[in-house]
Amino acid sequence: MARGLSRQQIGVTVAMIDSYGDLIFQMSHNHQIRRGDPIREMDFTAIEARRDELGMSDGQIAERIGLSEMQVMYIRTMMERRRFHTNYFQRLLDLGGGKRFRQERFTAHEDRFQYHDDAFALREAMTFDPGRARHYAEQGWWADDTLSGWLARNVAERPDAPAVIFDEVVMDYISLAARVDRLAGGLHGLGLGAGDVIAVQLPNLPDYLVSYLAIARLGAVMTTLYMPHRAREFETLLGHSRARSVICLSDAGGFPAAQTALDLDLDKLQSVITIGAAVPGAVPFEDLAAGAASADKLGLPRPVAADPFLLLYTSGTTASPKAVPHNSHTMLGNARLGAAEHGLSADDVILSAPPFGHLFALYSFHLALYVGAANLLLPAFTPPGLASTIEAGRATALFAAPAHMAACLDMGLFDKHDCSSLTLAILSGSAVPDDMARAVDSKLPDCAINQLWGMTETQGGLYCRPGDGIETAATTAGRPAPGAEARISDDGELQVRGSMLFPGYFDNPAANAAAFTEDGWFRSGDLASLDDQDNIAITGRIKDIINRGGVKYNPREIEDLLDNHPGVVQSAIVPMPDKVLGERACCFAVASDPDIDLDGLCQYLLGHGIAKTKLPERLVLVAEMPLTPTRKIIKGRLSLPEPIHSQDPKRDETKNA
Amino acid sequence: MTGNNSVDAKEAKQAILDYCLRKGALAVGVADVDALERIAPAGHRPSDIMPKVKSVISIGVGGQTQGAWSVPAKAMGYFGSTESRAYTIAYGAAFFIEGRYQTPAIYCPPDMDNEKGPRVPLQSLKLHAEVAGIGARSLAGDILLHPDFGYMYFASIFTELALAPDQPMAENPCPAPSCVSMYRSIGRTPCQKFCPVQCLSGHIDEDGRQAEMHYDMAACAEMSQQYEAVPAVLAKAMAAEDTQSREDALFDPDNKMLWYKMSVGSGGLLAQCFECMRVCPIATQSPLADPIRRAKAKSEA
Repeated sequence: MARGLSRQQIGVTVAMIDSYGDLIFQMSHNHQIRRGDPIREMDFTAIEARRDELGMSDGQIAERIGLSEMQVMYIRTMMERRRFHTNYFQRLLDLGGGKRFRQERFTAHEDRFQYHDDAFALREAMTFDPGRARHYAEQGWWADDTLSGWLARNVAERPDAPAVIFDEVVMDYISLAARVDRLAGGLHGLGLGAGDVIAVQLPNLPDYLVSYLAIARLGAVMTTLYMPHRAREFETLLGHSRARSVICLSDAGGFPAAQTALDLDLDKLQSVITIGAAVPGAVPFEDLAAGAASADKLGLPRPVAADPFLLLYTSGTTASPKAVPHNSHTMLGNARLGAAEHGLSADDVILSAPPFGHLFALYSFHLALYVGAANLLLPAFTPPGLASTIEAGRATALFAAPAHMAACLDMGLFDKHDCSSLTLAILSGSAVPDDMARAVDSKLPDCAINQLWGMTETQGGLYCRPGDGIETAATTAGRPAPGAEARISDDGELQVRGSMLFPGYFDNPAANAAAFTEDGWFRSGDLASLDDQDNIAITGRIKDIINRGGVKYNPREIEDLLDNHPGVVQSAIVPMPDKVLGERACCFAVASDPDIDLDGLCQYLLGHGIAKTKLPERLVLVAEMPLTPTRKIIKGRLSLPEPIHSQDPKRDETKNA
Repeated sequence: MTGNNSVDAKEAKQAILDYCLRKGALAVGVADVDALERIAPAGHRPSDIMPKVKSVISIGVGGQTQGAWSVPAKAMGYFGSTESRAYTIAYGAAFFIEGRYQTPAIYCPPDMDNEKGPRVPLQSLKLHAEVAGIGARSLAGDILLHPDFGYMYFASIFTELALAPDQPMAENPCPAPSCVSMYRSIGRTPCQKFCPVQCLSGHIDEDGRQAEMHYDMAACAEMSQQYEAVPAVLAKAMAAEDTQSREDALFDPDNKMLWYKMSVGSGGLLAQCFECMRVCPIATQSPLADPIRRAKAKSEA
């Protein structure tokens, strides 16, 4: 390896560099001082007297202070290196063309924004297979979609169009954008910024959407808390997400949400922002939303599609929630591609029955924002509330869970209210019973009933299209969304991959190891079948499969039958450990007939052709089922009764209060 | 080839000046070689390059078009193509002198004498131009300015032909009245205020003339020339504790640009940033500062 002369050869010591370095640097041309204008005036006396101040060459310096020229050169070079500001160059890059350098506006590299460790860890979690990422980008499935960009486009194209409708109040796109911009500026003033996780626990109010858009505008990450969440969930989810702030109500129906958040001992949580009555220690939401320092005025950089902006906790049936990060590529690309498939346009009025804390509701909002439609808000679901909101707001597209529709059907609300404005109803969140879908279809003849299958991890993975007809829509979840692929494994599990798929659970390698196949497909945990039109029907959950002495069966058909039993409101069959057979079926039921018993139910099932081996062997009556926000039963939270240690267990009934 | 004593020095000077002007020079002057020999330090005097030099001819060419001042700095960094203008004329002038007067002449090499210090040139073209009377030192780091042509690039021709020297400018156009006014108001001139690295400072006296000019060339060069960046970046990379830090040091956006400039020899931002001249009223608004103004002046004349 080639090398230059060593210090030992030149005769320069570290002590010499330290001793003479400053002197040599100052004597060199690095610093020049000219007093007067002696050369132009040909004032040779002044020239001679002030020559040194104009800077000296290495040879001149060497002569002056008694070092060799090479020693001066070496020491000068070392000093230039020590003092060198590598980042000075940065100052030039946005200058010129009318822009002038302003010292007060310049931020040195070392003082510039950097993602804190937690935010960077979340960004690290956004890891995608490079081949897939390239494919998605090449196909246009991943593009430059951002909520901020979509909102700005709507402001430009339809500033006066309704963006949010709530009660009698209509907020147009330009008003929405202005409030979002101010809130983003206010959040910035609280010290929140790109990469920070901000939790939101609000009903479906306009300020939920304002908060969401403002968080996205900052480049921050929203995590959601469901309205039923209380202190334990607050602590678990805010802690796991490393949330820096939470936006919540002062009083959530008797639950002091803001005070609960304030009382938490979480070192990352910096602020609690509250809507409603003032809470000491909390920041009033309205103060932030009414501030003068908007994000645009502050010049806050806009987020990009690759930035994570959502961290959602699974609402699945497992007891321990898992954190699902999404960026705009996965999340918004799916909505952009889905809008045309669902036949949505700027003329639509879109209503979500589930809360925005749930992905399905956010999906409806994403679709609305992409096409520039209006979002009709229902703060909290009640069957009459949903029906009257459809009627009053002339909703054209409804996103609802089967349980929402079932409740409306049960109460005859589609007969009592004019819901004829609906042209599309997308049902998702849990299995859609065939007869329920047909019943809705009969009540809403001009409305396309479509099933959608999705998970927090996949967003809209499969769905029917408006032209599919009720036969397909009642029995299947349709076909993969653009950018999505689906397959059914040998054991019947639906597996998916595609541009909408999350990259993996945040900070949960064990969950990730279980969630993906070796070739990168996501294990949905759902059982599925394929019809001859390539439509996929969801037939159950793998975890729900009962393995009774080696005989495996899906309890879904039994649950469907039981749900139609006149004495049963809702049922769930779960496997119950058994020393002899491995598993037996335990039926949990919410009964409308207090005299219902296991024998009666089994006779009913036998009468419908169910094999004896599939009959439930325990019955547990419960007052209500634990439900997700989309009203799906959380089977993992159903407490199994004590096992009966018998070769042939007596059919047993247990009543839980 | 030897010196030709039969040449009419007056006619020759005019012919050389005419040649340079015809080829595109805006200003031409002859510097007093004796003065240069006295002012320039040893090793950098005209005779160090050409022992029998009798005359140093300095030419100035137009600095920028009017449009150039409106482009971004990072694009304007490519605009200093002096080689294709001033040096070409000077090179041609040397051939012209030898061809017509049979007297040795050279185009003065504009390059740095890298053995002598930071950015020490073999010859100071600035000194030649100043003594020849076609530019005067400004508060903007001693960049030469001309009251009519504003900001120019310079080149020099040395010859053994003896020509009558011109005198330095009687007045220095810098600072312009508006700059004096600004200095009186805020204590800084435009070039001092808007320098991206604040490398300029100084004072104006009560008569509105330059009293002191301070130029932090280290800061200026660190921004626009980045000569020291390569060893600094390499040293940082070598000292990095892990692969990621090493990659950050070598391949962050700034340094990526550095490697590009090094590998392909891009001239962009390897010489000047122009911000001090962009805000200089002499550089940008002198009567003949750009082709548009010159054409207008010509038509009015």
